[in-house]
Amino acid sequence: MLMVRAIIRPEKKEEVLSELSRAGFHAATVIDVVGRGKQKGIKISGIIYDEIPKVMLMMAIRDEDKDDMIRLILKYARSSEQGAYGDGKIFISPVDQAYTISSGIPSL
Amino acid sequence: MKEIMAVVRMNKTSATKKALVEAGVAGFTAFKVEGRGKIVTNPSLILERKNELLLMAGEDQTGEAEKLITDFLVGTSICPQRLFTILAHDDEVDKIVQAIIAANKTCNNVGDGKIFILPIADAVRVRTGETGETAV
Repeated sequence: MLMVRAIIRPEKKEEVLSELSRAGFHAATVIDVVGRGKQKGIKISGIIYDEIPKVMLMMAIRDEDKDDMIRLILKYARSSEQGAYGDGKIFISPVDQAYTISSGIPSL
Repeated sequence: MKEIMAVVRMNKTSATKKALVEAGVAGFTAFKVEGRGKIVTNPSLILERKNELLLMAGEDQTGEAEKLITDFLVGTSICPQRLFTILAHDDEVDKIVQAIIAANKTCNNVGDGKIFILPIADAVRVRTGETGETAV
């Protein structure tokens, strides 16, 4: 089991979520975050903005779904065909166990 | 060392906090998040609550209220949730998970949330600079 954390542009949230849902990855947790990346924020007319609003999607998936998930996020979170600075990042970490509270069963 | 991430109902925040204190872990971080879970494919699971909510909606000629209620119960809409992250020693994980489940279980069959357990490579206490298990 893996935890995928994708930081994407807020304006891409709806599209990414609906495409993920269509591909069968319906469950997601959405967090509004601020941050900066490798470009050290953006500089507009002399002012540096380094707390850029982004959206973080958190999804727990089975190991075999990883490639599908990454492909979908890469496809729909990009602001243009070739991508641009600020389109975001995807982090993947292992999950030891997941529990569904309603049933108490240890499964995804 | 493990990180326990629990996504629970918004109105279960204080119950969860209380359960954590009783389980012997007072430290946690909580976030306001939005989320959705698996789609409910079995309509009988939500039938009772649907009728209940429809009664509360009152006169509904446009069918808008019914659509909102269905989206909410089936899980196609994104709703506010609370995310707890708790750092725990390996041997305490099970106890904490059971405490969270006990505090958050409702009789609604679905939508009570999820708990994830992730491995943590290292932790540092800022005040003393301690690392590893002692920092938890």
